[in-house]
Amino acid sequence: MEDNINSEGASSSSSTTTDNMLLPIANVGRIMKQILPSNAKISKEAKETMQECVSEFIGFVTSEASEKCRNERRKTVNGEDICSALQTLGFDDYGGALKRYLSRYREIEGDRVVINQNKPSGNNNNNNNILQEDFLLYTSTNKTPNNDNLFD
Amino acid sequence: MRQPGAYSKLLSGGVSGKTGPHSLPLARIKKIMKKSSEDVKMISGEAPIVFSKACELFVEELTKRAWLITLQGKRRTMQKDDVASAVITTDIFDFLVNLVVEDRNNSTAAVAANKLG
Repeated sequence: MEDNINSEGASSSSSTTTDNMLLPIANVGRIMKQILPSNAKISKEAKETMQECVSEFIGFVTSEASEKCRNERRKTVNGEDICSALQTLGFDDYGGALKRYLSRYREIEGDRVVINQNKPSGNNNNNNNILQEDFLLYTSTNKTPNNDNLFD
Repeated sequence: MRQPGAYSKLLSGGVSGKTGPHSLPLARIKKIMKKSSEDVKMISGEAPIVFSKACELFVEELTKRAWLITLQGKRRTMQKDDVASAVITTDIFDFLVNLVVEDRNNSTAAVAANKLG
């Protein structure tokens, strides 16, 4: 049986192929809620649709990244492959910011190993906050979506 | 630095700042990645982490666009069709069109998609 996440005709409710391969609706709903004004409400169906879209997004980007790896005869899909795939597929803003997020993450992970070796009490929370602040800086030039497409 | 707009949560730290380093379950992301294609054999540890952030950005962008459509309809509750319309009217979301339009005979989204061809 075809179990392809990209297959057409995936039903929106009680889907079969993607049912257990969705991100939790609570997490997805939370991200949606936090970007909207406080008086906004989101229907359950809208959240479910978003869940499916995210899974499709992951599959779409991963396929692109994995094909690149195959062409370059590499076996492991890494963070940079994801960043490049995002840029290839038109998600330029994400790709650029995430590349820097990734290199900062790698720096911090390297530092964390050193810190943990020297100080058992660890600075894990601080490291994650630094990473988050850096990411905010790198994404501060993101444009909010313009309305042009909607009023064509 | 540009001031964030009304809907931007950049200053407040976004989702990750409040719920912990990653707001989406990494193991689940990895499973979805593996399922996407038979080519995918090995995935580095950092790939799901990058995806966690990318998915957040994706949800935020699609949500913002859908909300604009909700507002156009003078409503305060985002409906599934708002999300579908946002998908249809945004080029980079073309890969989602078949997912959101399951019934080409009914629903506003289907009608819109049919018009766009």
